[in-house]
Amino acid sequence: MFKLNLKIAWRNLWKNKGYTFINILGLSIGMASCILIFIFIRYQLSFDENFKNESRIYRVISGWTTPDNFFESAGTPRPLPAAMRNDFKQQFDKVAAIQASGGIIKVKDESGKERIKTSESVHYAEPDFFEILSFKWLDGNPRQSLSQPNTVVLSDEMADKLFGDWHRAVGKSINFQNKVDLKVTGIIEKTPDNSSFPLKVIISYKTYLNQARPESTNWGTVSSTSECYVLLKEGASIEDASKSLPQFITKYYKRDNVSKESHRFQQLRDIHYNADLGNFANKVMPKKELYGLAIIGAFLLLTACINFINLATAQAVSRGKEVGVRKVMGSLRRQLIVQFLTETLTITVISLLVGCVLTEVALPGMQSLFKDHISFSIIEHPIIFVFMVVLVLLVSFLAGFYPAMVMSGYSPALAIKNKITANTAGLSLRKILVVVQFAITIILIIGTLVILRQMSYMREKPLGFIPTAVALVDVPSDSMAFTRYHTLQDRINKIPGVLSTSYCDAAPSSDFNNQSNFNYNGTVKSTFQANTKTGDENYFKTFGLEIIAGKGLSKSDTLKDIVVNETMLKKLNVVNYNDAIGKSIRINGKTGNIIGVVKDFNNMSLHEPISPIVINSDKESYTTIAVKLDSKSILPAMRAIEKTWNTVLPEYVYESTFMDDKISEYYQTEKIMGTLFKVFAGVIIFISFIGLFGLISFVATQRTREVAIRKVLGASTLELVKMLNGSFLLMVFLANLVAWPLAYLFVAKWLATFTYRIDLNIWPFVFAMIISMVITLITVSIRSYKAAVANTIDALKYE
Amino acid sequence: MIQLNNIEKYYANKGIKNYVLRLVTTNIKQGEFVSIMGPSGAGKSTLLNIIGMLEEPTYGSYEFLGEDVTSLNERKRIELYRNHIGFVFQAYHLIDEMTVYENIEAPLLYKKVGSSERASRIADLLDRFNIVAKKDLFPNQLSGGQQQLVGIARALAAQPSIILADEPTGNLQSAQAEEIMTLFKKLNQEDGITIIQVTHSEKNAQYGNRILHIADGIVKEDVAILS
Repeated sequence: MFKLNLKIAWRNLWKNKGYTFINILGLSIGMASCILIFIFIRYQLSFDENFKNESRIYRVISGWTTPDNFFESAGTPRPLPAAMRNDFKQQFDKVAAIQASGGIIKVKDESGKERIKTSESVHYAEPDFFEILSFKWLDGNPRQSLSQPNTVVLSDEMADKLFGDWHRAVGKSINFQNKVDLKVTGIIEKTPDNSSFPLKVIISYKTYLNQARPESTNWGTVSSTSECYVLLKEGASIEDASKSLPQFITKYYKRDNVSKESHRFQQLRDIHYNADLGNFANKVMPKKELYGLAIIGAFLLLTACINFINLATAQAVSRGKEVGVRKVMGSLRRQLIVQFLTETLTITVISLLVGCVLTEVALPGMQSLFKDHISFSIIEHPIIFVFMVVLVLLVSFLAGFYPAMVMSGYSPALAIKNKITANTAGLSLRKILVVVQFAITIILIIGTLVILRQMSYMREKPLGFIPTAVALVDVPSDSMAFTRYHTLQDRINKIPGVLSTSYCDAAPSSDFNNQSNFNYNGTVKSTFQANTKTGDENYFKTFGLEIIAGKGLSKSDTLKDIVVNETMLKKLNVVNYNDAIGKSIRINGKTGNIIGVVKDFNNMSLHEPISPIVINSDKESYTTIAVKLDSKSILPAMRAIEKTWNTVLPEYVYESTFMDDKISEYYQTEKIMGTLFKVFAGVIIFISFIGLFGLISFVATQRTREVAIRKVLGASTLELVKMLNGSFLLMVFLANLVAWPLAYLFVAKWLATFTYRIDLNIWPFVFAMIISMVITLITVSIRSYKAAVANTIDALKYE
Repeated sequence: MIQLNNIEKYYANKGIKNYVLRLVTTNIKQGEFVSIMGPSGAGKSTLLNIIGMLEEPTYGSYEFLGEDVTSLNERKRIELYRNHIGFVFQAYHLIDEMTVYENIEAPLLYKKVGSSERASRIADLLDRFNIVAKKDLFPNQLSGGQQQLVGIARALAAQPSIILADEPTGNLQSAQAEEIMTLFKKLNQEDGITIIQVTHSEKNAQYGNRILHIADGIVKEDVAILS
């Protein structure tokens, strides 16, 4: 029976090739999008899985409450891990510190000649870290390999890179930062792409402590690079551990700070999804965005299913006779439903196969968009296969069940007499479905338009400084390098195409921000913190910052003169900027005088408001030399800068970026979202309109005789086209009305995440309406025109 | 075999009853060949539909094989379709997507007849109606008369005890019509199958042994034909 059903299904599909094509096209595109979204979500959800005891692993988070703010960091004060190990013996099995850093690694060959020089990110880790997070050790073990100072463990990939073959690496040594020689004592397996712990070079934590930095005992300084992980004791609860935290905080923190410290424990499985806290891998994917994608996927599928339902119920009339005959031959309704569902299943399976091909085609594009290796291998991940089976069954059911119910419900007496017409209930349902489908489409169009406008607004908004043609070249900040700063700057300034250079710790806009308390004009401590930036006398010229009162910084290696921004003075209630000139500011333990006021510039992404800013010179904090270039000679100038840099600082590794690249990095998420919306809006428009085309084709066929009679009665072609188009335009118009408020809620919410944003006006909405109406008009007119000019006699001679 | 008592059928429209059948009482015995005749709109087809349980009477009772079938649930009705009743239609109503062979096979599949039994019965029917050569053709590749032969073969496949035919020759030319009617007569006389047909043609009615004349929903005459 099933085989026969399949055969009949196949013949039916073949007979109605046009509708079948539309159905398969729509469904396969919808399914391909769903599969792509699924494999992406699967990949994102696979982060940091497969660690032993993962439910008991937590990261310690630090938080600060200031009078006007609350913020958190994934970092902890450096003495915290040791203190916590001591005070939480009851609750935690293990507590371990890990410190992210980076530096230059050199490997010498047997003759002592430098063979490899490379800049790598490194992590200092306590042995316990590896007992909390279970990595695979190919050689050595955490207890022995990392318990002594000046030892290092490499990933097999890194060891291959440094020594040719990791089997030969253990026992050899590498030089780090031109300072210490580290002995390789262990090898771990390379961490997979879907890990928040991209550990390549792990140096024993004792090495870090040996370098005796002052901040390693300081509870007042927190860097997001110093993290602490804990392993909860079996049977203990994290809530109990959290209850002991206030006591812990009072014991170790001094109580006179402006901000109030707090701590909490973050689950291992949350690390990948928390965009505020970040992680070592710099890969975060907020769950919210995954949900958003899943919803878009569901919408796409729904749109494709609506196409199917509409075409199937429209065609149902022509199947009425068959239903009637089958019923009087003794077919149960259930058997008919099974038969129709078999047909749907056939279409869905074909669509899935086509969809898989489309997925394969689209995969490289998606991988480059997300810069991740996302796998579409059902052998590696059988869950993908399960998903496809579920998808097929779901789509078959969603798309096939209603038409099957309608068709199998025909009364045989009427069906046989061909008295079944497209019943009014079915028609109105079809209309509702079309409205739903187009409402979804229009929401996506509006969303896309708003996102694109906000993106171009962000690109074009004046930031208060000029980011174009500014190269940011890293400079090492140690005493050996300081002595050559002057030479380096002099030689770079002489390169043709270089307009000006400035040493600084960060560009005007940067995600590297220092906040600090300060005293203004000898008064008590301020109620807010200032963002501090350091730069030399050319900082303003190089970045095109505008001084609006007083003057810029003069040549100095330490804090002496200070320039503040407008926001700073506004927050200090200084109305006349000139009043501030000459006033003192005490910050970071040093005092200087305000000599100038700089016009406000955006110092972070446009999501954030402008901070109060203090700019001064401080040679020891510089990390970058910013080079303003003539935009016509960027390439040759950059080559010359690299060459000069390498001759002046041969022991170090050259790295540079461009200011505008840095800024566009802020909006990576928005860019991806914009692209996704563009693509999916395109897909959904396509699916909706081929569905519409199918529907108008059907209506035109069904009304052929009516059209012919009207023609005989004297209707013009235009009048006939208008008659056939009318209801469709009305439906799309209604869809617009439904979509507008929903789209407004969505885009208003999205825009609210930006401090600097476009004003939401009516144009995207009107524009979406025009687009949808015009495309509808074109789509339906093509088909209805054909029906209106068809030969009258052909239509009337039957019966 | 069929006992109709005071069958009434009307459609209420805005409170006005439009009667299609009024107080039809009749009895049809096993082995009869009954023709229902009358002008257009007399209620012939409605009567046949009620006999075929495609429609329910508004009032009255109907016994089929001694069982009250006035209102029957789907399962029981389909049981009767599978085992006792065969339908033949004016427009043949073959399933367009199925070949001749598959059309004849369909009722047997619903009846869950085993595959070898199925094959032999279909072969037998194809042979008997001289359509063996056409078994792999689709309905639209056949002439009207041939299609109606397939329609009858399909009705016979399940070995019913009664055939209900609604103007079986209405779409056919007279030569083909004669062939079909001869076939009906043969089935009635040789196989003892009860046949009830609706027809306009006095000539076709003569093939049977009883005529019910209907006008305005009322049985006007019940004539036996003595051949």
